[in-house]
Amino acid sequence: MNPEDPDKLERSIHRVLRNLPDRKAPAGLEARVLAEIGRRSLLPWWRKSFAHWPSAVRAGFFVGSGLAAAALVAGLFVLSQSTGAHEVASGISSARAWIVISRDLFAAAGAKARSFLAAIPTLWLYGGAAMIALCYAAVAAAGAATYRALSPVRQAA
Amino acid sequence: MNDEPPVQTQPPGLAPPADFTTFMRKYQDMVFSTSARLVRNDAQAEDISQEVFIKAHEHFTMLATSPTAGGWLKTVATNLSLNHLQRYRNRWKFFSEFTSSSDEDAPAVDFAAPDTFFEGVDSEERRAWVEDALSKLPDHQRVPLVLYHFEDIPYDEIARRLGVSLAKVKTDILRARAALAKILSRGGASLEAMAS
Repeated sequence: MNPEDPDKLERSIHRVLRNLPDRKAPAGLEARVLAEIGRRSLLPWWRKSFAHWPSAVRAGFFVGSGLAAAALVAGLFVLSQSTGAHEVASGISSARAWIVISRDLFAAAGAKARSFLAAIPTLWLYGGAAMIALCYAAVAAAGAATYRALSPVRQAA
Repeated sequence: MNDEPPVQTQPPGLAPPADFTTFMRKYQDMVFSTSARLVRNDAQAEDISQEVFIKAHEHFTMLATSPTAGGWLKTVATNLSLNHLQRYRNRWKFFSEFTSSSDEDAPAVDFAAPDTFFEGVDSEERRAWVEDALSKLPDHQRVPLVLYHFEDIPYDEIARRLGVSLAKVKTDILRARAALAKILSRGGASLEAMAS
């Protein structure tokens, strides 16, 4: 066959593939499917997906979710209007103090790290970065080479 | 991705399968073949076939009376197989998609001259031979080839579903055909004799 004739090749391959009969399904497939259907049918509704829940439960879930959301919003509104709102706000402010302390600690640690790095010669830093990049590339290359050598597809081809 | 295409209901007059077991026996070879040709692993194809029939059971009320039940099953089997491949593809993409110099610089394929090699070979042997040749193709060539020739999906749709460019799909299918012909030729077969 002329390898330069892709149309003819396409037609020939198409005929070869379309003439293929179906492969025989494994003998155990039918039993597996029926067993799995049986197993799933025995599961309680709350262990199935939402689509399989009873209609009444699904409706109840929607109503319950709506009520919970409304109660949350109403609760926040009442809280913001109450006399205790100032106490809550001051409580939150004291909690924020921890955030400020943590931020200061991190800033101090960062300053120490910067001064430590400044003491290291620049050439050493570049050398270290280059070494890390080299190791990364070597591991990637070894992984790719191993995959290509052991891949059953490539061996078969 | 929604794996389940819409089901068309049957016009009156077509006889539906009596029950789900009969329905499954009718289509299980087709579903398994569709999946096995895409994922190239019988155990995984069986798992996917099982999932297809469980989905079919959930829609059996509609499928039992649908003239397009076979198409529905084939579409679901194809989608689940592609999803399965996509998961592994993402995992191994970095390594498996390095361009091979042997792919790029492959010489033109010289196919065997038409002959009558398959005249004495029965259809089961021929089937096994072609299936084996198909399974030797790498994923990036076999999957678009199967989608194009078995599932009749056009190039642009294949590109969209595989998330690759149209040019790559066309090139991969072209190379897949040449590689398939080459593998079959190595075995002594000619495409003309097989296609007849």
